[in-house]
Amino acid sequence: MTIKKRYLRIAHLLFIALILIQFLPDQSTKDVFTNSLISFAVGVEVIVLAASAIIKKEESLALLVDIAGFLYVLLAVWSLATAKYNYLNDLLFPAPGKVIHQFVLDKDKIFINIKSSLRTTLKGFFLAVVIAVPLGLFIGWSARIGSAATYITKFFSSIPPIVYIPYGIALLPSFKSVSVFVIFLATFWPVFAGTMSGVLGVDKKIIDSAKVLNVSKPEMLFRVILPASLQQIFLGCNQGLSVSFILLTSAEMIGAKDGMGYYVKYYSDFGDYTRTITGLLVIGFVVIGVTFLFNKLQSSLLRWKR
Amino acid sequence: MTTNKIEIKDLTVNYIENKKSFNALHNVSFGVGKGEFVSVIGASGCGKSTLLSVLEGLYTPAGGTVQIDGKELRGTGTERGVVFQHYSLFPWMTTKKNIEFGIKQSRHDVKRSERGKIAEEFLTKVGLKGFGSKYPSQLSGGMQQRAAIARALAMNTEILLMDEPFSAIDAKNRVLLQELLLNLWEGDGVEERKTVVFVTHDIDEAILLSDKIVVLTAHPGTVNEIVNVPFERPRSRAELVKTDEYAKFRNRLLSLLYNDIAERIGGDEVVL
Repeated sequence: MTIKKRYLRIAHLLFIALILIQFLPDQSTKDVFTNSLISFAVGVEVIVLAASAIIKKEESLALLVDIAGFLYVLLAVWSLATAKYNYLNDLLFPAPGKVIHQFVLDKDKIFINIKSSLRTTLKGFFLAVVIAVPLGLFIGWSARIGSAATYITKFFSSIPPIVYIPYGIALLPSFKSVSVFVIFLATFWPVFAGTMSGVLGVDKKIIDSAKVLNVSKPEMLFRVILPASLQQIFLGCNQGLSVSFILLTSAEMIGAKDGMGYYVKYYSDFGDYTRTITGLLVIGFVVIGVTFLFNKLQSSLLRWKR
Repeated sequence: MTTNKIEIKDLTVNYIENKKSFNALHNVSFGVGKGEFVSVIGASGCGKSTLLSVLEGLYTPAGGTVQIDGKELRGTGTERGVVFQHYSLFPWMTTKKNIEFGIKQSRHDVKRSERGKIAEEFLTKVGLKGFGSKYPSQLSGGMQQRAAIARALAMNTEILLMDEPFSAIDAKNRVLLQELLLNLWEGDGVEERKTVVFVTHDIDEAILLSDKIVVLTAHPGTVNEIVNVPFERPRSRAELVKTDEYAKFRNRLLSLLYNDIAERIGGDEVVL
């Protein structure tokens, strides 16, 4: 890559434009924390420049720089509409600097809530995967002919898991356990269905190939059928994971005492929309982070596929 | 006749398709001696792959018997190594892991730590040194079959069953693979040769490799003739194809296949 391709990007001009905009006089009646926005933007730019020097693949660098460009435009428009020209109601629409400042102030509290949300989600999710995958393998393999299990799964997975919440509250001791239970259900059925369809779709040639090696039944299930249906299993897991976050945050807004959904709901009840928006953005980043890690795991486990 | 390693007697196999049962193999009988290389040839649909499925233990015959070392064959077993046309290797294991897995299944005496060494040794033998860490999808079709042969040999089974292993390979690589198999099987004359049943539709392949060729006739699959291949070993393709005997022998086999087809042609498409 030439120096030109590496460092001469429109995104850097956008960064400079964003910084220059910050020197316009503020018209908002409230404190808008322009310095927080500037520090944040400079931080992002430093990271992008550092990455530009390191990243080898041209496409990945272009992707990163483009994302940064979008971010700068968004921040520029946002700060123009709020802090600089005050087009929007400044009670409902906090300036970007204010949100960043709020995040820094609240970061300990926010991390506690993220931890609580993630713990609940992962508990329900992994419990479901750990039960659904072996069960799906076993039933899919033993009932290769009968598709009864598939129909039953279809019925149960058609019930939106959120409607279990009232019953769960009656059934279980704490609201935490209700959240885990609902996430469990939301993940269990798609993973179970994915596993079974994976098992039923395994190429007969692969099964023959394993049979002539005289594999034992556990080996057939876990060393042959499991990897052969892994892609379908991951399809189910991805579906379960995305529904899990929707359910989790919904549940937290209904009755929890912590978690990111609770944070958003609690402060919007007080009319603290700076914190509401901070919470929304943090949830976005957390979900993206988890999905990213999960996709990394997936492509690493399926690297043998082309 | 009790000296044969594999003894097939009056084997009859019925296929059920669309609730209609049809006769895939009818009263097939032949023997395979210990250390003998036997090819089964015939037009497609003659039941040659079905015959091999029975030997692999994947298919239960409707009648007749198959004996190995005088004992009735029941199901799959690790005294038989198999090479298929496709998917002999598991795509999620590296080439080396595939071979190690095969060794683990058939040779319980081999310690875990030794499996890797044996796998490397056989990868080298088939010309895949340095490809052990590749997944099958990263290899060409010919290399995949090399690896499948390496696994079958590393498993050190007395019997090798090969179901059209080179049919999906391009012409040039097919020739290379045939020679590789010939050299590995003929060996240095010190080691005992393996008993091989090799299914193919390629006459030249059958002649080059085999001691004996079983010609099958289709609908239902029956044995048309069993021909001994009269050429000395070790064989070399270049030397062999130059001789008149080779041409004569090849013509004889062709007429065995074609006469049969000419007699039976009745609108059915025949693919050799």
